[in-house]
Amino acid sequence: MSPEEVGSRLVELAGGADGGGASSVSFGGVTVDVPRSRWVQTVTAARDDPALALSSFDWLSAVDELEAGFDVVLHLWSVEHRHRALLRTRVPRDDPHLPSLVGVFAGASWHERETHEMFGLVFDGHPHLVPLLLPDGFIGHPLRKDFVLASRVAKEWPGAKEPGESHTGATRRRMRPPGVPDDWGPAAASASAGPADRPARGERPDRRARPPRNAPAAGEEAEVTPTPTPTETETETETADG
Amino acid sequence: MGLTDSVLPDPIKFVLNWGRRYSLWVFNFGLACCAIEFIATSMSRHDFIRLGVIPFAHGPRQADLMVVSGTVTDKMAPAVKRLYDQMPEPKYVISFGACSNCGGPYWDSYCVTKGVDQIIPVDVYVPGCPPRPEALLQGILRLQDKIAGEPVSLRGGSRGAAALTAPRVPGPP
Repeated sequence: MSPEEVGSRLVELAGGADGGGASSVSFGGVTVDVPRSRWVQTVTAARDDPALALSSFDWLSAVDELEAGFDVVLHLWSVEHRHRALLRTRVPRDDPHLPSLVGVFAGASWHERETHEMFGLVFDGHPHLVPLLLPDGFIGHPLRKDFVLASRVAKEWPGAKEPGESHTGATRRRMRPPGVPDDWGPAAASASAGPADRPARGERPDRRARPPRNAPAAGEEAEVTPTPTPTETETETETADG
Repeated sequence: MGLTDSVLPDPIKFVLNWGRRYSLWVFNFGLACCAIEFIATSMSRHDFIRLGVIPFAHGPRQADLMVVSGTVTDKMAPAVKRLYDQMPEPKYVISFGACSNCGGPYWDSYCVTKGVDQIIPVDVYVPGCPPRPEALLQGILRLQDKIAGEPVSLRGGSRGAAALTAPRVPGPP
């Protein structure tokens, strides 16, 4: 089946175009939008339908679409017919719940756990929805767009600031990563300070200055990296030439 | 002059250091792509075994060199520290690759420890992403030179009590 045929068949199973289903073809594959209320039904039907036979579960993940919510994306492959489909559903930000696909594809279990810890989505009916990859005690959901990338705030991006620039290294422009509020991090305190107060070039403020623990930003993370032990400065170190 | 001096006389130091640096038992803490380069260095073309570095120590308790190769994540960091603590003194660490030197290309990630030297003391850093096998060979030679220059003492080990990262465990009474 061609991607368009797969798309139209999936839209049928998702309740038709007036039920909220839509499909689009790009890069040789079809992406089908499924309304949230028909998520499990549609996936089950996609798996069981003989014409589609999308029986191989590839991956499940999410995309943070800011105000519009989260897009949960599922990739299925048909071993019989050798076509694939991306199924996508939109989950609102203030109600991040979606029924779990563990009853349809048992392999979705770990994918849903990872999506849960990275985005904060709750998969109702999942037998064991606990974090999979993040260390214990990690606070926040790292792949959300409002999760501040603390390392880039603590240390500037080294090298060229814009694509195409040569690596001068001495540019005065300080780039903050997108989405970081102005009052976040150690650089915010020195926003009005002169050049003498800035950390010298070559120093690593990442180790000395930690982002404040009670930052008001929504995406707060606990620094799990331990502080360096004082014995390291006594051990003499050498570098080998690459 | 006697063995109760804080530093042993030169011939003994030479022999002891010679024995230690040419019989390093290495414990490869291979985490990522650099582990493959480490394995390549142990294979026939580059072969660090001819330098005396015998790989595949049965565990950290039988090793005296730990090569941390690959990205150290925050979740793995306690395990690195634990296995380092299990190594008996004198022990050495080579940090192999950009990720274990300083976080490497993943320095800005939410879960990467920026350098294994935040957790354990490192003797030799081998830069590269990944470093060539010859770079690891040079790193091992540098480490061997460093061991050759170490003062050997009956008290406090080769680097003195201040360099120990864990408190001394008192013996049985």
